[in-house]
Amino acid sequence: MAGGGGGIEKGEPDFQIAPMVDVLLVILIFFMIITSAQVLNIDKTIKLPIAAEALKKDDSRAEAIVNVRWDPAGNVASFNFQDKLYSKSADLVEPLRTAKIQGEKNAAEKAGQNPEFRVVIRGDRDVPALFVSQAMNCAAEVGISDISFSTVNHD
Amino acid sequence: MKPFPIDDEGTLGFQIAPMVDVVFVIMLFFMVMAGAVKVEKELLSRLPGSAESSTPTEFNDETIINISDEGEVSLNEDPLDTVDSVDLPQLKATLMRIKENADNAKQPAVVTIVSDQHAKYSRTIDVLNALAVAKITNVTFNVNDD
Repeated sequence: MAGGGGGIEKGEPDFQIAPMVDVLLVILIFFMIITSAQVLNIDKTIKLPIAAEALKKDDSRAEAIVNVRWDPAGNVASFNFQDKLYSKSADLVEPLRTAKIQGEKNAAEKAGQNPEFRVVIRGDRDVPALFVSQAMNCAAEVGISDISFSTVNHD
Repeated sequence: MKPFPIDDEGTLGFQIAPMVDVVFVIMLFFMVMAGAVKVEKELLSRLPGSAESSTPTEFNDETIINISDEGEVSLNEDPLDTVDSVDLPQLKATLMRIKENADNAKQPAVVTIVSDQHAKYSRTIDVLNALAVAKITNVTFNVNDD
């Protein structure tokens, strides 16, 4: 049998299937990882706006995710935070305050984590700006100044 | 021809060719899916007001971007781009000039977005996207209650 180099018998290299299978499996794993890396599992009723220049999401931070839903049939907006639905933004303040205290406490216990708590606003693309502003006001009332807006890279 | 080659000891031999076929099909599936995958990203903003400062704040020339209820974008009351334009090329070009001038003057470029309360949130994101292109980070967001 020829050596590991190329299996040359009678002057012609043999086709080695084992390294090809290795490479195929590596490529397969690569594509499996990149397709399942991002799972939009937070609130699928929301159609996020598109922004090409947005940055990669920083998942290492302590954060609260506020979903701003829009019902175009009833022209009604609602806020979804920690799987609870709020019709008025003012009702968000206390849950946000609790989440901030808990998030900062958890971040302090973990070494190397950014201790600053932030709010991620996931607003529907059709929601009037007023309701996003109300969610931002709630964050400001609790003392959170670091706010980011969720977007998607394409439709 | 037998479907599976059976060796002298009566055990089934491992067939690599069908396995490679299956792996190819799975790989093709994931390659096609990789192009269509939606990635959630973020546009950053920082609310003013909570910054602690011991020195007086210097007020620079502030740029105000208005968004009307129909989605018309105007910069310091000059309308730019069309209502249908998502990329906002004129706004991007103007903001890049403003940023360049501010950098030359060694001052921060400060922009305030004033949106009509009925304007769609996606229009605010279009403007924030244009600001991200111009690398302007000092942004405040306001909603016009009138």
